[in-house]
Amino acid sequence: MLIENNNDFICINADSSELVRIRDFVLLKAKAFGFDETTATKITLAVDEACTNLIEHSYKFDRSREICIKIDTNDSKFTVLILDDGNSFDPLSKQKLDMSEYINNIRRGGLGIHIIRLVMDEIKYFPRSHNSPKNILMLTKYIH
Amino acid sequence: MNNSFNITKETNGDIEIIKIGGYLDAHTAQFLEQEIESSLKSQKYKIVVDFSDLDYISSAGLGVFMAFIEDVRQNQGDIKLTNMKEKVFAVFDLLGFPLLFDILGTREEAISKFKGK
Repeated sequence: MLIENNNDFICINADSSELVRIRDFVLLKAKAFGFDETTATKITLAVDEACTNLIEHSYKFDRSREICIKIDTNDSKFTVLILDDGNSFDPLSKQKLDMSEYINNIRRGGLGIHIIRLVMDEIKYFPRSHNSPKNILMLTKYIH
Repeated sequence: MNNSFNITKETNGDIEIIKIGGYLDAHTAQFLEQEIESSLKSQKYKIVVDFSDLDYISSAGLGVFMAFIEDVRQNQGDIKLTNMKEKVFAVFDLLGFPLLFDILGTREEAISKFKGK
């Protein structure tokens, strides 16, 4: 199977106890690419938030489902692809969060997509279709 | 408990000191939530969280503090956060949370503030 032999690809069960495996994988790759510790941690956080949303909202904690992560790098470009086969949901369709309103009203939750927007330079979403059985969220960060 | 997260609690007068370590994420946030809940049930509203050994926090972890901060402040208490590693503080900073939370260098500073020194 392609997954088994590819160092830039990892799959986990949709269970929050598995998030640590994705974080270890992304952190290692981001640091090896050349990002400093803090930036690599922020990229890892963005990926964690996207996967947490999938586990909770798309898969509704059904741990038999699967999330896969693929890393693509090119020159100064570090891209994380997050693949799932749940109902399609484009995170970019969600309204941007007003943080001063959020802090003033002391709300809880709903920060995941906001964090992804703050951390990543580019976000693209490709819903699954006949030709592509997986939804793909593509998160890119450039190294300067 | 989970092997990627650890939590201990000690008491200093009417102040609860909760020390956390490892990863605070969607899986482990429940353990911190239970610990703060138990403090509030005992009407302990002055809480210091020592982040010395914490290596990672996601929004699920931040959500725990958001859930209780109003309640403790309405009861003349606070949740003061201390000893954060730079990469953990960077997450609070990213979201502008230093405006909302009292983030201090050491647990002694937090205790002194609670004691009004």
